[in-house]
Amino acid sequence: MLEVRDLSASYGAVKALDGVSFDAADGQITAVLGANGAGKTTLLRTLSGLVRPTAGSARLGSTDLLRTPVEEMTRTGLAHVPEGRGVITELTVEENLRLGALGAPSGGERRFDVDRVTELFPVLGQRRHQVADTLSGGERQMLVIGRALLAEPRILLLDEPSLGLAPRVVAQIFALLRDLVSSTGLSVLLVEQNARSALGIADVGIVLNLGRLVVQQAADTLVDDDQLRHAYLGF
Amino acid sequence: MPALRPRLGSSPLLRHLLVALVGGAVALAVLTAVDDFRAGQLAAMAYLGIAAAGLTVLTGLNGQLSLGHGAFMAIGAYTAALFLGDVEPAAPLAVVLLAATAVASLVGLVVGLAAARLHGPYLAGATLALAVAVPGLAIYFGDTLGGEQGLSVRVPEPPAWFADLLFFLTAVDPSRGRFVAYLSWFVLIVVLVLLANLSQSRVGRTWRAVRDHEVAAELAGISLTRARVVAFVVSAATAGLAGALMAMVVRLTAPSGFTLTLSLTLLTAVVLGGLGSLAGALIGAALLTFLPQVVTGIGSDLGLDDVQSAELAPLVYGVVMILVILLAPAGLVGTLQGWRLRRRAAAGPAAPAVPATARPSDPTRPSDPTRPSDPTHPTHPTHPTDKAGRA
Amino acid sequence: MQQLLTTTLTGLVLGAVYAAFALALVMIWRSTRVVNFAQAPMAMLTTYIALVIIEAGHSFWLGFVAALLAGLVLGAVVERVLVRPVEGKGDLNAVILTLGLFIVLHSVAALVFGSRYRSFPAPFGVRGIEVGGTTVALTGFGIFTILAVVVVMGLLVLLFRFTDVGLRMRASAHSPEVARLLGVRVGRMLTLGWALAAVVGSLAGLLIAGGGLVHPGYMDAVVVYGFVAAVLGGLDSPGGAVAGGVLLGLCLSFVSGYLGSELVAMAALLILVAVLLVKPSGLFATTAHRRV
Repeated sequence: MLEVRDLSASYGAVKALDGVSFDAADGQITAVLGANGAGKTTLLRTLSGLVRPTAGSARLGSTDLLRTPVEEMTRTGLAHVPEGRGVITELTVEENLRLGALGAPSGGERRFDVDRVTELFPVLGQRRHQVADTLSGGERQMLVIGRALLAEPRILLLDEPSLGLAPRVVAQIFALLRDLVSSTGLSVLLVEQNARSALGIADVGIVLNLGRLVVQQAADTLVDDDQLRHAYLGF
Repeated sequence: MPALRPRLGSSPLLRHLLVALVGGAVALAVLTAVDDFRAGQLAAMAYLGIAAAGLTVLTGLNGQLSLGHGAFMAIGAYTAALFLGDVEPAAPLAVVLLAATAVASLVGLVVGLAAARLHGPYLAGATLALAVAVPGLAIYFGDTLGGEQGLSVRVPEPPAWFADLLFFLTAVDPSRGRFVAYLSWFVLIVVLVLLANLSQSRVGRTWRAVRDHEVAAELAGISLTRARVVAFVVSAATAGLAGALMAMVVRLTAPSGFTLTLSLTLLTAVVLGGLGSLAGALIGAALLTFLPQVVTGIGSDLGLDDVQSAELAPLVYGVVMILVILLAPAGLVGTLQGWRLRRRAAAGPAAPAVPATARPSDPTRPSDPTRPSDPTHPTHPTHPTDKAGRA
Repeated sequence: MQQLLTTTLTGLVLGAVYAAFALALVMIWRSTRVVNFAQAPMAMLTTYIALVIIEAGHSFWLGFVAALLAGLVLGAVVERVLVRPVEGKGDLNAVILTLGLFIVLHSVAALVFGSRYRSFPAPFGVRGIEVGGTTVALTGFGIFTILAVVVVMGLLVLLFRFTDVGLRMRASAHSPEVARLLGVRVGRMLTLGWALAAVVGSLAGLLIAGGGLVHPGYMDAVVVYGFVAAVLGGLDSPGGAVAGGVLLGLCLSFVSGYLGSELVAMAALLILVAVLLVKPSGLFATTAHRRV
């Protein structure tokens, strides 16, 4: 369980996050929605330690995330796939995956290995020895998700996985994500502009506006709330 | 004085000329009062100051780094040496100095055309290669340029009118060495005034724009290449002029005088004083001239032999250079000004505006103590505060 | 014919050394975007350490290994103490910093070891090998030079391709933020990268010194040649640096043999400028243009 309380962060004088509190339960997909500049990416970057918070707390189980250095995050069970995918294009597909596995917590059971990931994403298996620079957008998204899974996370932070992808590819990746969560008990914090698709697979949605949490509700309730949808989600 | 200031402040040229006049009078008095040894040292300070001023205009105003200005000094020095060799009658001084400047400008034009397309470490590497390569030419063309031994330089006789004038002013007849010292300081002051005006003119603003906002400058119709090349030529010309004076002061022009160390030393002067500040370049040159003696003395006191003591000076420059970059990248002048401006700002809104606090002789003072646009300034406002750094 | 062969062989040996030195520059450039001009005096200093050990009566090889280890430590310390604070703070500061270090190491060496020329021993013959009655310019030490460089490059390839540490180092160099998110201690990897690069640089220093003379400035020109070789290869590519090193070694050897050794540095400058103006991404690059 991820517990976020009164989390605030700022870029200089601009408050990017302003007292955000929510819980993300295990085994659930929590969609983080809102317009550009609402603070979604900042939320993820603060949780994974790339941005220093100005106030508040964030715990993952018994771990105080805000006291954990970035490079320790994967070992506490948090994997962050940054915006713009974060494929290391100079490395091969396999090397990217190996790198993910190197970050897994020591000990503990391994649910994923490179073979399992290439089973989930067969195209990665075919391109295993290619340099990642040669992958398409959708393949890159699969690679970074697969790489994050190899770190054996308890919670996966995904930043805009649908960005620039064809709707068909988005649907494929989202369906896979839903299956993974159901089969492994992984929890996912899914930041999306594409609110309709995200709510389609999410259990819970939270909406940010100008750095504040507007609402946290079950995903289907959110979809039905016309007023909220029009005001913040744009569909 | 307060009444005078706004009027003087309104015209940079007037202000610069006034400062130059005062500086010239002080230099004349000092050069007359000191002994021959000190006069020689001051002459060295003058040519280092000229070269450093040229380099600071290039690096500080235009953002181009040159590790090869020793090469341009060499070009100026060899040109002067060829004029002041055994040929009779010796060419007039003005011709020698202009020729040295012109030849260095020409080479600077060629190098500048290439350099204009290079950035950061590429430019540094290319100019470093220039510094290493040029002395080799003097050896290759040994018949004309004297090879390893170099060319000896005859110091010109002071013109009669100058001797008369000096006698009238100071009641002494100048020796040849003393004359070169006066000449060096005169040239230094002229160069500083020219560069100060240049940097406050439209050209200087263009250079700064190219340094800070390449894209914006280009959109505003500034030719980046032309701005960079012109800056490089001006800088090379200044270095060539300094080289010519160096030849006269040292009375010898040899490859061993233009090692990589000379180029790096110039850079030291510029960094010490603060990139982009002419006053800083002068302070840097003064440190380079007078620090070795002090440090070498300390070395002898510590029981080091002469050769070892002589190495202490570069050690100190190097250490100071590293410390300046790590602790005070704006250099001595920039840091002091920043500190003073901050203090004034803290003193309240009644504090006078920036121009009144800045030294009139320094045309490149930061208009804002934080100088966010300065490429050498460390505190680029990076937005997310990176947590904990890297372990 | 004899001169052609001599010049070529000399060029190959020199090229091997330039390749090693260029590789050291490229390793650092790739990971920290700094051209380490202080690489030359760093290698000079570690060579003096070897010289002191050898002159104290120990074996050449003890001195050799000690110099490489000293390089390892020196590289790590320089990165951690001096370079770390200016990383990502603009080109100018980093370049000036390495030049400051250049000056400091020079004077330290002159203070500690003196500035006179001292001869450095070679473990193998420095006379040409005799083949069928004629003496070829290839010396025993020349062969050792080429072998040593090849072995070190092989080891580096193994390290970067096949070990976890190598993978982490490459990830840190290419995408530091992503690497951190994947649990890589990027700072440590950068320190390690500098340390290894300094070892390779020290090797180049030892190989140049072997059978010749050393003094505080004996590596100064080599940093220029190493830089030119690295730029020939695109500055970002270890393979390109090696190829660039060999090519430059051959070119300069021909300039030296047929035109005069005083022109070597000028030739290097002209080659550098030509490459930067005509093909800035390096002679062997197939991909996009690079801003130089």
